Amino acid sequence: MRTHFAEVLAREGPCLVGVTDGAMLACWRRRIVDELMTPRSPYVLALQPTDDVSERVDFLDRWRELIAEMVDRLVQSGTTIDAPWPSAEATRVAVDVQKTAVLILAALHGGSTLSQLVQDPRPLNAALDLALAPFAATEDNCRARMGTE
Amino acid sequence: MTTTDSHNGRRLTARGAKTRAKIVAGAADLMFIQGVGGTTLDDVIAASGVSKSQLYHHFAGKDALVRAVIDHVGEFVIGRERDALGHVSTIAGLRRWRDALVQNNALRHGAYGCSLGALASEVSDNDDLARQTLSQLFGEWQGLLAGVLHRLQDSGALSPEAPIDQLATGLLGALQGGYMLAQTARDVTPMATSIDMALTHIESLSAH
Repeated sequence: MRTHFAEVLAREGPCLVGVTDGAMLACWRRRIVDELMTPRSPYVLALQPTDDVSERVDFLDRWRELIAEMVDRLVQSGTTIDAPWPSAEATRVAVDVQKTAVLILAALHGGSTLSQLVQDPRPLNAALDLALAPFAATEDNCRARMGTE
Repeated sequence: MTTTDSHNGRRLTARGAKTRAKIVAGAADLMFIQGVGGTTLDDVIAASGVSKSQLYHHFAGKDALVRAVIDHVGEFVIGRERDALGHVSTIAGLRRWRDALVQNNALRHGAYGCSLGALASEVSDNDDLARQTLSQLFGEWQGLLAGVLHRLQDSGALSPEAPIDQLATGLLGALQGGYMLAQTARDVTPMATSIDMALTHIESLSAH
C-alpha cells in the first residue's frame, strides 16, 4: 500500500479508537482539519486522485470502517446532542452508523477539496458540522476540553 | 462575423471560434475521463482532429487550455444546476434534484465523478488563476443551494435560525465528497448515501 495511505491509517487507527465522547470527537476533527489544510500532508496526498484505484478503494474502505467503529462507540455511549436551538424541533432519528460513516468520509473528501480551492478551512468545517451534527463535536467543544478557552 | 476570446481578448472569426470550441470540447472530454495530469496536448490534437499549429494558435500551452476547459465545464455545470435548483423551494424538490444527479452518475457507474470537482482536485495546487476561477464557480453553486434553503426558510419549512450559508456549503461538500467516493468505488451508492444523510439533517432542522 502507498506510503501515505498506510501512514494515514496508522495514525487514524489509534486516534479514532481513543474517541469516546463528543469532546474527543471535536479534538479529532480539529486535528484532521489541520492535516487537510497542510500542503503535502499524507492526508492531502491520500485524498488526491491516483491511478492505483484498488489500493485507494482498500484505503477508503478501511478508513470508513474505523470511522464507523467510532460512530458506533459514540452511539452506544449515548453521545448525541439535543436540538441545536431552542425553537427547533430537531427530529431525533436513530443514527445509522454505516451511513453516518460514509457522510463523514464524504465531508472530509469534498470539504477539503472546497477548502483547498479557497485556501480557507471554513468549507471543510461546514461539511464536518453537517456530518457530525448528531454529536457535540464543534471546535469550541475541543477548546473547552483542552482548557484553552 | 467575429467573437472575442474570453482569455486573451483576441478577436476570432466564426471559423476560428469553431476550431477553438472543438479543441476545448475534446480536451474537456479527455480530461474528464483521463484526468488533467493524464491528458497531453498530443492527446487533445488527436481527439479533436486539429493540427498542432491550430492548437498553439489558440492556446499558448496546457495551462491556457485547462483554463478554457474550466470555463467550458463551469458554464455547463452551473447552467445545469441553475436550471435544476433555481425554482426548488421544498425538501421534496431537493430530493428530486438529488435523484437526478445520482441517476445521471449511475449511467456511468459513478466512474467519472463530478466534472467540475475532478478539475478542482487536480489543478488547485498548480495554477492560481485556475484555482480562483474554480473557487468562483463553486461559490455560484453554493449560492444556488443557499437560495433553495432561503426559500425553505421563507416558507417556514426551515427554522429561521438555521445557518443557511453554512448548511449550503456543507451540502456542497457532502455532494462533492459523495461524487469522489462513487468515482473510486465505481458505484453511486456512497454518493446517494452522502447526499441523503445531508438532506436528512437539513430536514431535521424543520421549524415545525
